[in-house]
Amino acid sequence: MRPRAYVPYLFLLPNLLIFSVFIVFPALFGIVYSFHKYDGLNPMEYVGFDNYAALLRSSEFWDVMRRTFVYVLTAVPLIFAGALLIAMMLVQELRGKALFRAVFYWPVMVSFIIVGLTWKWILGDSFGVVNYLLELAGLEPIKWLSDPVNAKMSVIVATLWSRVGFYMVLFISGLQSIPQDYYEAAKIDGASRLRSFFSVTLPLLKPTSLLVLILAVIEAFKQYPLMMALTGGGPGKATTNIVQYVYQTGFIKTQLGMASAMSVVLFLIIAVFTVVQFRLTKGGAIE
Amino acid sequence: MGNKKGRIFAILALAILLVAGLAACGSGGKNGGNSSGASGASGGSGESGNSGSGGSGGNAGGDSGKQVTLDFVWFTDGIEGEVMKAIIKDYEAENPNVKINLVEVAYSDLSTKLRTMIAGGKPPALARVTDTGYYKNQALVLDDYIGDQESFTSQFMDSIKPYYVMDGKVIAVPMDVTANGLIYNKTLFDKAGVQVPQSPDEVWTWDEFTAALRQVMEKGGAKYGLVWDFTPHRYSTLLYQFGGSIFNEDGTAAAINSEAGVKALEYFVKLHKDGIIPESVWLGGENPNNLFRTGTVAAHLAGNWMLSNYQEITEFEWGVTYMPKAERRSSVPGGKYVMAFKGSGVEDEAAKFLQYLSSKEVNGRYCQESLFISPRKDNAQLDYTFGKEMFEIFSDELANTPAEAANDWSRQDLVTQFTTDLRNFIVEAVTEHATPQEAMDKAAALINDIIASSN
Repeated sequence: MRPRAYVPYLFLLPNLLIFSVFIVFPALFGIVYSFHKYDGLNPMEYVGFDNYAALLRSSEFWDVMRRTFVYVLTAVPLIFAGALLIAMMLVQELRGKALFRAVFYWPVMVSFIIVGLTWKWILGDSFGVVNYLLELAGLEPIKWLSDPVNAKMSVIVATLWSRVGFYMVLFISGLQSIPQDYYEAAKIDGASRLRSFFSVTLPLLKPTSLLVLILAVIEAFKQYPLMMALTGGGPGKATTNIVQYVYQTGFIKTQLGMASAMSVVLFLIIAVFTVVQFRLTKGGAIE
Repeated sequence: MGNKKGRIFAILALAILLVAGLAACGSGGKNGGNSSGASGASGGSGESGNSGSGGSGGNAGGDSGKQVTLDFVWFTDGIEGEVMKAIIKDYEAENPNVKINLVEVAYSDLSTKLRTMIAGGKPPALARVTDTGYYKNQALVLDDYIGDQESFTSQFMDSIKPYYVMDGKVIAVPMDVTANGLIYNKTLFDKAGVQVPQSPDEVWTWDEFTAALRQVMEKGGAKYGLVWDFTPHRYSTLLYQFGGSIFNEDGTAAAINSEAGVKALEYFVKLHKDGIIPESVWLGGENPNNLFRTGTVAAHLAGNWMLSNYQEITEFEWGVTYMPKAERRSSVPGGKYVMAFKGSGVEDEAAKFLQYLSSKEVNGRYCQESLFISPRKDNAQLDYTFGKEMFEIFSDELANTPAEAANDWSRQDLVTQFTTDLRNFIVEAVTEHATPQEAMDKAAALINDIIASSN
């Protein structure tokens, strides 16, 4: 019996419904709110593009965006390189390969808040484990979290620890899909290990690399729980990124309209990033 | 055949596991919706970091007949939830047609939950709140129920009137008052041979207090002198003690960058630079409660809500003493109020319960058992089972608090808009990215903008 044409759509329907109700409609509401002044309690006031104008003029907003960009541009290459490196090592025939893969993947399963709290206990200025060990060794304790630059580095370290395993898995599957023939051919032609990496591995890894880049960038832009748990956005505002800023504006200052406008701007930025990446890498197609 | 049997068995086992897992999660969720962690950095009216599970929404019993159900949104810092449940039981026994449903949420979720309920057109009958000003348009005006406003409000401390009487109308009922105060590590102070003030006449000046802390650090072995909660509310204690305030008297302009305000911030910065206050709290997000509990901190500037939290400390002795003064003494009053909401359908019954809660006996019982300070003037000497002398010190602090403190903090509709920024400006001064004058000028400019845009 031939399946009717609409059957596939029936299978898609449940997910489509859930996706619409929990993601699409709230997003549309958000766009509507961004044109109003709303504190969550008293009736909304239509203000047109005022929120966006105020946003583009606000130096605080641009500071936060700048910090977020710096974080993204630092964390993503490190995650990419780290994950690729570990994946390449764990694709070879090593004893205990499965154990190592599990060990590197395990932090991925820990929720961001726990990751933040754990690293806070390790790096805490007054009572952290690292400073305790430093003092035992007779050295000066380092201000891991109360110095702005150190705090940013600590956040990046915690992010790497928690995410590298996930992208390592993607790279492992990508690496395993590269046929060995290419490597053999390169070896026969006298290519060094490094040369075969740049000429064989990287080009054939393009689809996976694109995927890793897009996912890592989006995730880095939206990163919030980890920083909240680790530094609370501090010291001062040194690690306050855009999502935390949106939360503060929307729920603490109760300016939901402005917060929605910021979310829309964030959405546009991420969309542009993604489209650009896609175009530049020609959709991950290997030519 | 063996293969097929094995498969059926495997599927059955998986199904049983799934159902058991769901059941476990389900029952866990039911007991879930309760108390916010008492280890939140600023239990009272601060910003707490933990997230709790939300309580059930419930509906405000629509029966037009006798039976009414009141939904009471509640948050708990310590044991007061249990005390309230017992009080509710007694009320229900006396009023069999009324059922009160205590909907417990974590403090950090309270605001979001109430706003969602109100915005969704289903406000609860009652709620326990700290930011009364924020809900003043949605609160049920109680003047129709309480009789003469003057005689009602005169039962309670005068300093908290701005919190529950707004625009000339009574919008909430005080349940307990909180006061900021000084908790100190008795073991360390004794070891250093430093005496604390025994009476209000012996109150330290800030310089004397700093010297005392230094002695405790050197001779008593305290690693840190003073830990200070990371909130503008607690910071403002210093501001008032130096003679400053956030707003001017009628709330029309900012006054935080006055000479006194800048001096207060300069002193705060100095305390950090001299190593009396560890940088890890205001800069590193370290939790002052945890620090104090390690027994290596000489003093904690917190408030009376920490008493039931610190009750369980056995590793060292601690006590409460008078805060130092600069220009004058000051604490910062806060408190919890219960508010009824318009449009819940059960306004009359809600108002009746509010009057019950605010009566001398019920309020006295609630505060005594929960270890809170009563807002009623006739409940000033409650028979607490723990820390009676400590409460007397807190009450004395409140009695010596100038009016500016309550005036400032009752303007919740304005304060919530700049509280995070004010905190950041103070941090800028502490990290020396701005001078105290610049930081406070920026704060004042922001506050004036907010006042202007709210009119």
